[in-house]
Amino acid sequence: MATEERSLQEPVPTSDPDLAVGLALVRRARRQRIIETIKVGIVWIVLVALLTFGLLQLRFDPFYIFQHFGFVVEGVLTTIGVSLASISVASVLALFGALGRLSRNPIAQGVSGFYVSVIRGTPLLIQIYFIYLGLPQIGQQLIRMGYRDLGELFTLSEIQSGILALSLNYGAYMTEVFRAGLQSVGHGQREAAAALGMTRAQMLRRIILPQAIRVIIPAIGNQFIAMQKDSALVSVMGVWEITFRANRFARKDSKFIEMFLVAATLYWILTIISSWLQSRLERRMARAYER
Amino acid sequence: MKRLSLILTMVVIFGLLVAACGPKPTPEPEDKLAEVLARGVLIISTDPAYPPQSELVEGAERPADTKCSSDQRTAAELQGFDIEVAKEVARRLGVEPCFVTPNWDLIVAGGWSDRWDISIGSMTITPNRMEKLYFSQPYYTTPAAFFVHADNTTFTQPSDLSGKRIGFGVGTTYEYYLEGTLEIPGETIEFVVQDPVIKPYDTDLFALEDLSLGDGVRLDAVLTAQPTGAGAIADGMPIKQLGDPVFFEYLAAAVDKAAGKDPIPLILRVSEIINEMHQDGTLQRLSQQFYGLDLTSAAGEFDLDALGQFNQ
Repeated sequence: MATEERSLQEPVPTSDPDLAVGLALVRRARRQRIIETIKVGIVWIVLVALLTFGLLQLRFDPFYIFQHFGFVVEGVLTTIGVSLASISVASVLALFGALGRLSRNPIAQGVSGFYVSVIRGTPLLIQIYFIYLGLPQIGQQLIRMGYRDLGELFTLSEIQSGILALSLNYGAYMTEVFRAGLQSVGHGQREAAAALGMTRAQMLRRIILPQAIRVIIPAIGNQFIAMQKDSALVSVMGVWEITFRANRFARKDSKFIEMFLVAATLYWILTIISSWLQSRLERRMARAYER
Repeated sequence: MKRLSLILTMVVIFGLLVAACGPKPTPEPEDKLAEVLARGVLIISTDPAYPPQSELVEGAERPADTKCSSDQRTAAELQGFDIEVAKEVARRLGVEPCFVTPNWDLIVAGGWSDRWDISIGSMTITPNRMEKLYFSQPYYTTPAAFFVHADNTTFTQPSDLSGKRIGFGVGTTYEYYLEGTLEIPGETIEFVVQDPVIKPYDTDLFALEDLSLGDGVRLDAVLTAQPTGAGAIADGMPIKQLGDPVFFEYLAAAVDKAAGKDPIPLILRVSEIINEMHQDGTLQRLSQQFYGLDLTSAAGEFDLDALGQFNQ
């Protein structure tokens, strides 16, 4: 790939007819790709125009949006921060969860299976309420039993509660992703590592994980994109992220459609940026395997 | 070696968690009031979903010398009648007001885990809430009224709404009224609407939005605070009030009974302050400023001792 690109950039007149035919083919393929991209782009423009037309039929005041969107934009950093922190913790949880599910140890297997089952089986919003309202009650029991410092750790602030709930929730879903990633590494790789005398931990760190990560990373990106929107749920505890700001500001002048449009647009822009970063990362991960 | 690195990782993660929670100084003071005074900060909960009681301020600057923590809001970032009352209460206590903004249902649920000291958020005194919370002297009253679509001509009084679809905010006194279970100490309530089809909403304003879609499209009426409905009408919503208010609510500050430190001295001191504010005309002035009428007089005469809150 790299060498082809270099030769395309400097189209030296060559006497080799085979190379000339090859270059022409490459050029034609590239032209077709560009034309296809343009066609898809036109479809997008038409769809955006249709969406805009549809939205204009709503009863709303564009000038109000123009005046007040800044207040909602201030929540973008909070949304990104909560999502980034949660996806990091969730990845760690998911790794341990997946190792547990694949392990032959009955305790590890049981714990991770139970974790995935309970968390995937209950709504995120209810998990948030349990962590925000329920954990401090456990803490108070501990304080009553005399463990004051330990007990106080259970009263998490609203942001900490939100991050913990999102991490636990996404960690459970991502456990399956990580498991699939670990299992995607060929059995021969394990046998080869074992033949070299590696322990299971060495095998995991040096052979399995580096190959599994290639399958896992794009999926993490996907989960991250989903999480940016689910982070809106932490607004119930009064975290001033995009949704909270839009929702509560709208009540001032009863401008719900206006402020929700701003919020929706911001989430969409965040998603577009994340998708772009994700595709770059994916291409980078795939580089070593290209022919 | 491999075990060691695993254990090390786990220790680091645990350490990070502990660090994130931060060390909390062990509090010395005996009760909530002493704690607030020692801290120099009164943490007040308010849900900025209910203008003109509490709403957000655009482009607000946090004062540089504020003692509020980063996840609390300074007085500059909020405005409204409740916020003005809260600021004045804090000023008379000699401390800085800091605000947190959890959803309303989390505030009335009690069990605040000491995340905030007091609610100054137009909370109606009800026997249900008295199980979890202690109330202060009320600082004003709110008339509750039915609103219907401006185009409607068939309803002339609240009792015409029997059997109709009525919207309200979840967890509000309006819900209890429609269920026929509302009790307000010091008031006899007549339930004039029989067997309504109840339509709960996240907040009253969403119910009003649905009502404004058209007469009978999703709702026939909404039961909410008269000032809330009047505010929506002022914002151009096509709705109108139906008849006279059906009941009056006494709205007060509240503290959590389950607080880590005894909250009674704090609520007694706040009651004292609110009584002073009734007497020197501060509350009446604020009521005129935000509602254009005096909603405070009846609240000043409310007999708080009759509630018997502390006889246990």
